[in-house]
Amino acid sequence: METARYNRQIILPEVGIDGQQKLQQAKVLIVGAGGLGVAVLPYLAAAGIGEIGIIDDDRIEVTNLQRQVIYKSSSVGKSKVLEAKAMALELNPSIKINAITEKLDSKNAILLFEQYDIIVDATDNLDTKYLINDACGVTNKPFVYGSVYKFEGQVSVFNYENGPTYRCLFPDESNEVKNCNDVGVMGISVGIIGMFQANEVLKMVLGIGDLLSGKLLVYNMLNNEQQKFEFSKTVTNTIDIVAFENKYSSVETATIEISAALALEQMHHPQVLFLDVRNADEYPKITIKNGLQIPLDRLEFELHQLDSNATLFVFCQSGIRSKKAVEILRNNNFMNAKSIAGGAKALDKIDAYKVFETL
Amino acid sequence: MIAVKYFGAIAEKTKSQGEEFSFSNMPLKDLLSVLKYKYELDLLSFSIAINQKIMQDTSSYILKSNDIVALLPPFAGG
Repeated sequence: METARYNRQIILPEVGIDGQQKLQQAKVLIVGAGGLGVAVLPYLAAAGIGEIGIIDDDRIEVTNLQRQVIYKSSSVGKSKVLEAKAMALELNPSIKINAITEKLDSKNAILLFEQYDIIVDATDNLDTKYLINDACGVTNKPFVYGSVYKFEGQVSVFNYENGPTYRCLFPDESNEVKNCNDVGVMGISVGIIGMFQANEVLKMVLGIGDLLSGKLLVYNMLNNEQQKFEFSKTVTNTIDIVAFENKYSSVETATIEISAALALEQMHHPQVLFLDVRNADEYPKITIKNGLQIPLDRLEFELHQLDSNATLFVFCQSGIRSKKAVEILRNNNFMNAKSIAGGAKALDKIDAYKVFETL
Repeated sequence: MIAVKYFGAIAEKTKSQGEEFSFSNMPLKDLLSVLKYKYELDLLSFSIAINQKIMQDTSSYILKSNDIVALLPPFAGG
């Protein structure tokens, strides 16, 4: 382990060679390579955290550059995590960085979290925060939380040594909260909160100072006021792998699927499009006026044929391929895409659509 | 005297960071009803802290003089 690089922190009594070894052995996953993530990453890399994972499927846009300060103007369009990895390795070539160009979801979270010691939430939406919370519960990992609203930020550490969790603090999941894209933010605000998060990670690894476990730090950039609120664990929040899978498979299916009958009710709406992702030679033929056929394996190449504002009801033969199609569509910003449960077989059973079509 | 502090989207709705009320001994849930109605907070979800401690069950607490109530919505930006 090269100690010359880390000399200035090794000479701190709170760190020392032992501390540097702890840093070198630590594995930290940063979920999100946006405003928070890019503030956390350089400081963890600089301090010598031995392995850092960063997961995000986003590409750099020019509107990111006022706050996501590690990216270059010349890199617009490139993958955030790949650029972030390159930056971190140029800063510190002696550490390992895993760039994961995926979106965190209930299918990859658990396997991913198992490979790290500490999970940093650098996300921009509540759904993913609850997912991170639950996956941390299942895999027994501490969760360093950060979030921003305009000029205010929140920081905490959840699930540390069986401590309170995100759900103990905010039990109500049915909330619509705006993120930076909707309400706006200054780079400094995400920067400061991201650094508070990096601070918690380093304290945790080194075993120094006091962690924000069971404490919510709320910081106001405009008046520099800082408040801490204590909260305790609510017993009903433990989750195991079975409960996790039940919860997330039904949530994702519920939002991703629609019944054939319900979809057909909207078939005359001008913004609705029925997308058949079967091959051209499959039966029964479903002819709906606002309909289009693009076989699943061609879908990614034919997205230009689709209006991203349209409501897309996607179907295949029985409803399996269409779920995959909806995933592809959602990954390409077609947010109003749903899979018709039961597919063409279910549609064909509903005589009403054939009657409507003849009107 | 009771102090109430607002954060995030709630501070936007109330157009202030906090205010004071000159009563005490009022049930917390009554104060919350009044604030929700006055500032149209119904669609916002938030946790409540009394004197810097999050209160899980707000239904039975009676406010005392010098209590500080904080309305804490989750933030999502990042």
